[in-house]
Amino acid sequence: MRIHRPATPDAAVRLVDDSGGAAYFVGGGTALQVEWRKRETRPTELVDLTALPGFETWTWESGRVRIGAGLRLSLFETDPDMGAALPLLANVTRDVAAPGIRHRATIGGNIAGRSGCLLPAFLVLDAEIELFDVEGRHLERLDVFLSRPASSTRLITAVLLTAQNCRDRWVHRKIGLRAGFTPSVVGVAGILRLDGALINEASVAIGGGINRPRRLTAVETILRGRALEAIEPTSLTNEIAALIDAPSDSFRSGRYRSRVAASAIVQGLIQAQRSVAKPRNRLHPVSHDSPDEIEVSRQILPERWRIRPDITEKVEGHAMFLTDRRSSNMLVGRILMAGVPHAVIHAINTKAAEALPGVVAVVTAADVPGLNAFGILRQDQPALCRDRVRFVGDVVAAVAAIDAATAALALRLIKVDYEPLPIVDEVAAALEPGAPLIHADGNLVHEATFDKGDADAGFAACAHVIEETYITPRQMHGFLETEGGFAVPETDGSLTVCVGGQHGTRDQMQIARILGWPMDMIRVVTSPIGGAFGGKDELTIQPALALLALKSGCPVRLHLDRAESVTLGMKANPMRIRMRTGCDANGRLLAQEVDLLADSGAYASFSPAVVNIALEHACGPYLVPNVRTRGRLAYTNNGRCGAFRGFGAPQMTFAIESQIGRLAERVGLDPITMRRRNMREPGSPGYHGHALSPSERLNEMLDAAAASSLWRSLDDEQGQGVLIGTGIAVNHQGNGFGSLAPDESAIRLSLAPDGKVEAAFGFDEMGQGVLTAIKEVIATKLGCCRDDITPVTGDTALTPDSGGTSAGRGAYLMWRGASEAGPKFTVALQRAAAVLLGRHPDDLAVAPGGLRDVRSNSGDLLICFADLARMLGPTNLPSVDAKYSFPKTNYTDRNSRFIFASGAVVARVAVDRTTGAVRVLDLHQHTAAGPMIEPAAYLGQIEGGNLQGLGFTTTEHAEMVNGFYVTGNLDSYMLPTVIDAPLRTKVFALEGLDAGDLFGPRGVGEMGIVAVAPAVCAAVADAIGVWPTKIPIEPETLLDAMGYLRG
Amino acid sequence: MTPWGTFVASEEDYVAVGFQLNGAKQRVVTTPDRTLLDILRDTLGLTAAKPGCTIGRCGACLVLVDGQPVNSCLIMAFQLEGAIVISPEGLASLFEAKFVREALVAENSFQCGYCAPGFTIALVALLRRDRTPNETAIRNSLAGNLCRCTGYQSILRGARTAIERLKEG
Repeated sequence: MRIHRPATPDAAVRLVDDSGGAAYFVGGGTALQVEWRKRETRPTELVDLTALPGFETWTWESGRVRIGAGLRLSLFETDPDMGAALPLLANVTRDVAAPGIRHRATIGGNIAGRSGCLLPAFLVLDAEIELFDVEGRHLERLDVFLSRPASSTRLITAVLLTAQNCRDRWVHRKIGLRAGFTPSVVGVAGILRLDGALINEASVAIGGGINRPRRLTAVETILRGRALEAIEPTSLTNEIAALIDAPSDSFRSGRYRSRVAASAIVQGLIQAQRSVAKPRNRLHPVSHDSPDEIEVSRQILPERWRIRPDITEKVEGHAMFLTDRRSSNMLVGRILMAGVPHAVIHAINTKAAEALPGVVAVVTAADVPGLNAFGILRQDQPALCRDRVRFVGDVVAAVAAIDAATAALALRLIKVDYEPLPIVDEVAAALEPGAPLIHADGNLVHEATFDKGDADAGFAACAHVIEETYITPRQMHGFLETEGGFAVPETDGSLTVCVGGQHGTRDQMQIARILGWPMDMIRVVTSPIGGAFGGKDELTIQPALALLALKSGCPVRLHLDRAESVTLGMKANPMRIRMRTGCDANGRLLAQEVDLLADSGAYASFSPAVVNIALEHACGPYLVPNVRTRGRLAYTNNGRCGAFRGFGAPQMTFAIESQIGRLAERVGLDPITMRRRNMREPGSPGYHGHALSPSERLNEMLDAAAASSLWRSLDDEQGQGVLIGTGIAVNHQGNGFGSLAPDESAIRLSLAPDGKVEAAFGFDEMGQGVLTAIKEVIATKLGCCRDDITPVTGDTALTPDSGGTSAGRGAYLMWRGASEAGPKFTVALQRAAAVLLGRHPDDLAVAPGGLRDVRSNSGDLLICFADLARMLGPTNLPSVDAKYSFPKTNYTDRNSRFIFASGAVVARVAVDRTTGAVRVLDLHQHTAAGPMIEPAAYLGQIEGGNLQGLGFTTTEHAEMVNGFYVTGNLDSYMLPTVIDAPLRTKVFALEGLDAGDLFGPRGVGEMGIVAVAPAVCAAVADAIGVWPTKIPIEPETLLDAMGYLRG
Repeated sequence: MTPWGTFVASEEDYVAVGFQLNGAKQRVVTTPDRTLLDILRDTLGLTAAKPGCTIGRCGACLVLVDGQPVNSCLIMAFQLEGAIVISPEGLASLFEAKFVREALVAENSFQCGYCAPGFTIALVALLRRDRTPNETAIRNSLAGNLCRCTGYQSILRGARTAIERLKEG
């Protein structure tokens, strides 16, 4: 690529013209990465405009502002004079992208791209643009410019505007897919010039995203000459909406676009306040004595708050993730994915790629020495596809080359001959007779049923029955560190694979099976991880990476970029849950029927277990005598799905908690009373009739939720174009894998040569705070200080197999591990020290830093750990291994969990009357999960889970059409930003356990995500009277419900 | 030449770019469209700036260029000539960074920490512009930084603590 930096606009134009279309103009260049990825090609020449005179300045020119096209969008934030002259533009630019982009992106680029968010504002300001083309300089009205076809040789050098009249009314509104840093669904701008109460002049424009930017002249005509007080806002909105023709896409309909545009114009220009919707008869709970909770915060619990051992290096950027490792002889790996959702492979030709200089290894199915299949529950996914691909991200080949550019080129040189197969992209269709088969043994991956009582008789006796179908999204885990790492062929013939994972020993076993090697020839390092959330439970890139390292004989690193991660990576199982729930006239639940359909994607992975967990939550924590449930899981060509934080519980809890809330309305009960009336009694049998752990706190959670201040908050934001509501949902949070799955763990405590107590635990530090917790529980148990402990995690060479880092197991297993290994290790230390000191072991006690005389009160050490280690020598250091299991029920007819924690979410939301968007104002999560090991990690897990739950509820869905992802990167997959996060949050903990409860701390890794959706949906219902049944919530549905979209 | 052959790009595709990085002069020979993020991570071995989306949507790769926070995945080599770049590794030279870093540590603002360097850059940039930003200004300044672990509340607490400590000096 050649870069030109011309000194005059004419020269710039000539360069592009002479290139015959090979070159184009670049201002800030912030859109190029997105654009180049779409086209998969780059230009051979760029004309950098930054040296043009006057390109990056603004001046007053004969009464008008001349804004150089090279000025950055942040200009209006940094230059107060500019903001004062053009308040509308200042307002618009603040809504464009985010600060990092606004500091680089240019005004000219926003115009030249023809879809920029500034265009409606420029249009209503009657902007003129200064242009250069082969014929020289022109001034052209922006609307004229936009009406002409785009030309690569027309260069925008400036925008000319008249300063805004300060007496004019103006509006700008950008409606997006989320609150912060959002792509535009539609944008409007308008200016009204009033003569008293009469509209003298009106300028209105639309644009943004896929909307053709244009003045809405018909709208201007109907506004002109109208008297403000004579306008009826609703009818004017309808009138304007009818005049706006807007396109649809996968995210929002044209109808929605035209309606919210009209509504924003009327709301902003004519009337800031809408008439308040019908007052609703709200059923809020009566306040109740609150249980003895504590608010979890550093201020309230300073004595217990620990600084994470890894936080400083993470903040300073020194922390080395597995994707950060570089070495001089390390090759760069890339994966060739199918790129088609379903096809037969006739041939894979790698010759050209292999012949490319700089390519060291190319691997295909022919290079797989062992079992060419993997999968946690069943091995149905090829490591490298031989004759068939079943989703767009299926791995077909991989290359290792000397650098990223060579690897990228090599991928393009691999030719795969596909014969397309019919696509199955709907679960229901997948299960139809005659549907195309994705696997030879049929598309039904798993079916589970459970009946108790007599559902038909139960429903017959009901006074109220609610039947509804709930739809949940294909949520993406959204870890910031995409799948990646490196592999090293060691000189002794073994292989080290360093890729973020959630169960190193299982990854090791799966890789060994693929290679046909013994497990002990493979070392798997899985920590630290830049987030996982279940998405790194299953193998991702490890098979290809391992094969590349072995074939090339070199260390290879491989890091999926985000687009690749979306395509290849796991998602949550989308579910369609049909639920029929009935109660008697007093609100007592009599019958429940559930029919669950879940999308497994192309392979099974953990999905069957996800369905089982979902079904285990079919009645929530409520007692229902008559139950009939059925769950089916089907293969489709929709990516691949499996473990995701909550593991089926978020989906089913959304459904059952919504049903309870709706039945409460029918019966005329407040949501707390309805739940209290049906809540399981502590000590009563669990859902499958099995025993549950003690210390149930569900009623206490209801008390806490009833006492919540959020029910009594003033509707202070009510007047600002929103409707406010409050809602509640309950968590009954299972921990562990359940009665049918192996649920073993192990820990090892050793004195290291440096005098530290090494606590080796096969869990992975993916952010949740394993390192903090290990230090805390081991130091507490031994009686030493936390700095005496070195946690060792996530490395099969160094840690025992502690089972998967999932299912809320960690807190209990670490705490229990301390009890299992701690006392034995203390004895080992006492014995070792006793020999050296000539004392009896019982005379010695572990103390911070070493061992002291058991009778000493001073704390003075008889020997410090470092001296003890040194004197014992490296071969005589004490070490203790302990193996133990996660507690289980002995009920094995169905997978059932034994340990449960309790929680409740109270959410207060605002529904925007213009856009239908849901904004969470307050989110309070009450928890009862036994004693907190450490409050900071506990708080972090809950807060993080809550926001992931909010994304699940309001913005997140990996949309697929015909087996392809529509949401290919983070520009269209809407993770919540900090602007989307609730304004205020609180986390409460009720810590105590029942006397005799030996099960210690419960896991809260999943607690935060599960009850957010139903609580938010209940709050929406409280605000506007309609229960969302499909999440992420569709704003259009809410607008319809509010009555603004009818007609 | 490397042991495996020649580079794909021909020599005329390469340009020499001079810029200041963390207070020291740098001269990098690379293709002009190579991103600053790739140069930092793969050429210079500075891996604090992270790839999260490589299209400017996550903020994990933020660096300061001429004092402003920008996505290093969007900046190409040809745009770097003469620029003053501070990567997360070089933040200690800025007065505000100490307060921001200490506050983020005290509040355990991050979990997995992959996004942490980017957030730190964004907050330092904010406090260099405005010592007493309100809640809206804090959130707006972080709108381009995604975090999946924390729900942002701990990062906001870190920001508020940094502001308080900066006030106290």
